Amino acid sequence: MSNTNHSIFSGLKIVAWVIFIGLCIEAGSLILNFIFSMVNPDMVGDLYQKLDLRELREESEWAFFSMYSIILSIAVVKAHLFYIVTQMMQKIDLAKPFNRLVSKQISQISYYALAAGLLSYLGRQSARNFEHKGFELDAVSHFWADSQAFILMAAVIYVIAIIFSKGVDYQEELEETV
Amino acid sequence: MAIIVNLDVMMAKRKMSLNELSEKVNVSLANLSKLKTGKVKAIRFSTLNAVCEVLDCQPGDILEHSDQE
Repeated sequence: MSNTNHSIFSGLKIVAWVIFIGLCIEAGSLILNFIFSMVNPDMVGDLYQKLDLRELREESEWAFFSMYSIILSIAVVKAHLFYIVTQMMQKIDLAKPFNRLVSKQISQISYYALAAGLLSYLGRQSARNFEHKGFELDAVSHFWADSQAFILMAAVIYVIAIIFSKGVDYQEELEETV
Repeated sequence: MAIIVNLDVMMAKRKMSLNELSEKVNVSLANLSKLKTGKVKAIRFSTLNAVCEVLDCQPGDILEHSDQE
């Protein structure tokens, strides 16, 4: 592997870790927000994200819990997705990249990206439905802004995963040829 | 396996050790050992050609098809 590729790969590793830590902080803060909104709603205004959905809860418990569960699920799925990315980047050997573990991790990345995209889409449609019924949900609209991007990313990564899996088969066959 | 490798039989007939064969056909001892025990999926024509030349035999003397799995 050339020095340029090595530097780019090291840079990407750092970026993946930064994104993963950022998503963990976001998911953790949203869980804290949820806990405080159940236990002590007055504190929510002082927390990260300031996701105060008290008005929504007063109008409908069902809307409040469904919105919060979708938001938390998206945050956790995105954090786990980048956890797999960081693990894959730690374990991949660019000199000999085709192995079963990396192939499995690329497939998992595509599944989690699809899950994040579908959850975002579900959240957006649910928010629209609730808005039609008169609920105010502007504060949460940014959580599902990138649903199509995630679905598209999942499709592209899935194709890469299939190609990678074929590569692993070829490499194994080559290794077992004398 | 449907294909049986009789390399050990031919080696015994020619009184040749695995080390000697490995040096003459330029294939590693580990790979030749795998071939002898039938643990490989494929064999290159170049390898088969080299083995046949060194052992002075035909491919059919080394490889045999069996109906039994």
